[in-house]
Amino acid sequence: MGDLLQRILQNYPYIFALALFGIGTFTVLTHSNLLKKVIGINIMEGSTYLFFIAAGNIRGGVAPIKDMVSQGDVVYVNPLPQALMLTGIVVSVSVTALSLALIMRLYKLYGTIDAKEIHRIRKEVRANGNSNQR
Amino acid sequence: MSRNIAAFLLVCIGLVMFLAIAELPLYGSPDTPVQNYVAKRYVSGALSDTGALNMVASIVIDYRAYDTLIETTVLFTSIIAVFLVLKKGTN
Repeated sequence: MGDLLQRILQNYPYIFALALFGIGTFTVLTHSNLLKKVIGINIMEGSTYLFFIAAGNIRGGVAPIKDMVSQGDVVYVNPLPQALMLTGIVVSVSVTALSLALIMRLYKLYGTIDAKEIHRIRKEVRANGNSNQR
Repeated sequence: MSRNIAAFLLVCIGLVMFLAIAELPLYGSPDTPVQNYVAKRYVSGALSDTGALNMVASIVIDYRAYDTLIETTVLFTSIIAVFLVLKKGTN
């Protein structure tokens, strides 16, 4: 048991990533405000970035940029996860932009960005017939 | 009520992930499976292969250039979709 706890504590950056992931998922699941859902998705994405960068880290390593000044034995951290996370950031920005645009359209249509409120309005419209449905 | 269910499910999933953290290779050690021959090849050969001092830039722009090219398509598609969604006159 102590061994297990020690191994978990040695991997402490992964615990932070896990906590961020939990916070983001909880936000997405419990809030009906669509903007807050987008914020939760972004927090989850941030946790995956943290996890990947932490996995590529080496203790005592330096950033993977070669400089001609310092000679000798320099340990560079793994540049591959950092390059992959650049790709991930681009995808995350795209998803955020598209969802924010959709939320703007929803606000123009329904006058609210609350998911439950939008659901209620849609139900009312369906009950009154499709004549005034846009 | 649904808040409590969500919290309970998250605690269950988080517990499994928490135990999985113990099985991950030690943080910061230089001989984990992440630091395999691919990373060593990038670190040792980036300057002579691409001429870039920044290894991340050499991977993004040179080694994985097609990945970056198609990634631009992702960005482009999302911008087109945003403009379509926010277009005036469509109600």
